[in-house]
Amino acid sequence: MQQALDLRQNKYSEVSQEEKDRLFQECKDDERWHHILYGCYECGICVAACPSAKFYDFSPRLIAQSVAREDTDAIYTLMNDSVWDCSQCFSCDRCPRGNSPGQIITVMREVAVKNGLQTAKQALEGYGRIIYKIMSTGSQVSPDMLQPNAFPDWGHHVNEIADNLEVWRRALPPETLHTTETGWKVSEKTIIELYLIWHMTGVMDLIQGIDDGLHMILVDVMEERLEEAGYDIEFD
Amino acid sequence: MGYSKVNECVIATDLYYSVADNTWARVNEDGTVYIGMTDIAQSLAGPILHAKAKPVGKVRKKGRPIATVESGKWVGPIKTPLSGEIVETNKALEEDVQLLNKSPYNKGWVVKLQPSDLENELKEMVTGDEAVEQYKEKIERDGIQACAHIEGTEDYE
Repeated sequence: MQQALDLRQNKYSEVSQEEKDRLFQECKDDERWHHILYGCYECGICVAACPSAKFYDFSPRLIAQSVAREDTDAIYTLMNDSVWDCSQCFSCDRCPRGNSPGQIITVMREVAVKNGLQTAKQALEGYGRIIYKIMSTGSQVSPDMLQPNAFPDWGHHVNEIADNLEVWRRALPPETLHTTETGWKVSEKTIIELYLIWHMTGVMDLIQGIDDGLHMILVDVMEERLEEAGYDIEFD
Repeated sequence: MGYSKVNECVIATDLYYSVADNTWARVNEDGTVYIGMTDIAQSLAGPILHAKAKPVGKVRKKGRPIATVESGKWVGPIKTPLSGEIVETNKALEEDVQLLNKSPYNKGWVVKLQPSDLENELKEMVTGDEAVEQYKEKIERDGIQACAHIEGTEDYE
């Protein structure tokens, strides 16, 4: 069971002050930072609007106030134990001061990922298959992921759908949806562009810091296909 | 074939293992080797949904992926413990991919490899009692839970 979030205890006291300061500075250096944090009336509108706050020990106000106070011990704890509870719906954007706790969290998550924090690795572990699917094929959840043993809650008719997947897909009017291994047909031009963007923007380095195995199989797929398209690119 | 069990995880004692990558190799009389994933690997992954081996003819260096495996909760590579050329892939996995779970050391082999530096690279793998000992340490060090086996798993007694 998840432990209650208690900022009065400095949970990560073994982490040096310099490291905590460095990570917070990285957040502040983000060019979005000064457009998403102004001040706090303590009105609680963000918490009232937040769906995650209803279900988890999570508060967008705590995030906004901690970063405004520059309390780096609290920020480090939140960066590890709280930011992944946010659903990134941005309901908190209704703040009368113009704060966006959701976007503050976006930046904090990016810093956590870029620095390979263990808690970020754990939080993202379950998303490996989805990331692999999107980044290798350019399309999201695919029909052939609909396997009876992965979706027992769909009831017995999931077997019939899984067994006759190609037929069901051909029944859809747009030809681009007559696929089972991808959500839709992705053109060669599109997938090559996506691979090049991920390569050039450093996304692959981010993934390597979080999940080496996932990085390895993605790079393998990408290098091969880029080579076929006439690009000589090494990711490593 | 002899088997040993550590924390309900089966180790076939006649195979060679890369303990870090949870893969095994079986050397055939004709000099080729079968490569597969271990019982611990299948248990950590959970029931496998997809496995895609690299095509026949592909030359891979040691440590590079020879297949991608997807389960409900995980996706990752099977890294070859030996360098060489893939000469055959296991067609039986196309019919029943969960042979990887049910028979990881026999019917669930992944690729057959023509190794390019077998003598040297085999020295870096472990077999027999040494493999069992190293897995004991790994299971303890990594806090690996008792291996789970799905219905239809072969009998190792």
